[in-house]
Amino acid sequence: MGTQERLDTQAGVGTRVSDPWVTIVWNDPVNLMSYVTRVFQEYFHLPLPEAEKRMREVHEQGRSVLSAGSREQMEVHVQAMHSYGLWATLQRSDA
Amino acid sequence: MRGFSARDGAAVAALDEDERLVIARIVADVGLLLGGEDFGGERQAALPHREDLSEALAFLDGLADSPPEPDDPALLRLLPNAAPDDREVADEFRRLTEDDLRATKLTRLRRMWDDLSTGGTDWTVPAEDVMATAAALTDVRLVIASRLGLEHDEDAERLHHEIADATAALEGSSPAEVGIDPERLWLGMVYDALTWLQESLVSLRLGGQA
Repeated sequence: MGTQERLDTQAGVGTRVSDPWVTIVWNDPVNLMSYVTRVFQEYFHLPLPEAEKRMREVHEQGRSVLSAGSREQMEVHVQAMHSYGLWATLQRSDA
Repeated sequence: MRGFSARDGAAVAALDEDERLVIARIVADVGLLLGGEDFGGERQAALPHREDLSEALAFLDGLADSPPEPDDPALLRLLPNAAPDDREVADEFRRLTEDDLRATKLTRLRRMWDDLSTGGTDWTVPAEDVMATAAALTDVRLVIASRLGLEHDEDAERLHHEIADATAALEGSSPAEVGIDPERLWLGMVYDALTWLQESLVSLRLGGQA
C-alpha cells in the first residue's frame, strides 16, 4: 500500500501516513461472481486476474480489502461500491 | 425469455409482454422504496412512505443531522451502513452520500423501467449502459432477496432447489396442494429469472471490452 500512502501525502488531505483507512468489500448471497469481478475491473481498474483474485477473497473468506488511503478517499470508494449494490465499509486500517 | 447476447455491439435480450410487465412492476416498486416518484404514475395519491415522512420531517432536527438508518432491511441493503462499528463515521457517511446514492439508483431504475415499458420484445442495452443496467438489476435482486430472507450463500442455493422442486411438484397441482407459499414461489421465480438475465448480461464481452 506504499503507493497509496504517497498519493495521500501528495493530495494533502491531512491523513497521516501511519493512520490510513481501508475500504472493505463483504460477501453477500446476491451479487454474482462475474458481476463483482467486473465492478473491480471497472472501478478499481484491476487487471482481470487481480479482479478475480479479490472477488474470490470476498466469496471464500467473506471480505477483501480493496483500497487504502485517507478517510475521504475511502468514503468515495465505499459510495461507489454501494452504487453498484456491493456491501462495502470503511474503517481505520488498525481497527 | 431469452438472455442477453451480443448484437451489433449492444446486448439484446428478449422478453415477452408478461415478463416485461412483471419486471417493470418490481422495478417501479424498488423505485418507490427508494423514495422516488411513481414510475407508472397510477398510484399518485399514495400515502407517503415512512422513509419519505422521516425525510420530510428531518429539518426539524436541524439541517446538519444525518438521515436516519432505514428501518426496512431491504432499503438498508440498498443504502447500507458504511461503518457498523463506528456510529460517527456511519452517520457522517450517510449524511454525505445518501441523497446522491438514492438519485443514482433511481435514475438507473427509471431508465430500466422506461426500456421495459416501451418498445417490442427486444430489450437492447448499449455497451456503455451495461454496468448501469447490471447495477439496477442488482438493486432489484437485493430487494427481492431481502424479502425472501436470503442472508447467506446457502440460503440462495436452498431457494433455487426449493423452486426447482416446487416447479416439478406443481405439474398438475396447485401451490396449496404442494405446500408452498405461492408468493414466495412467485418472487423466487422472478429472482431466479433476474439472476439469469444479469449473468447473461455481465458475461458478455462487447466490442473488445476487457
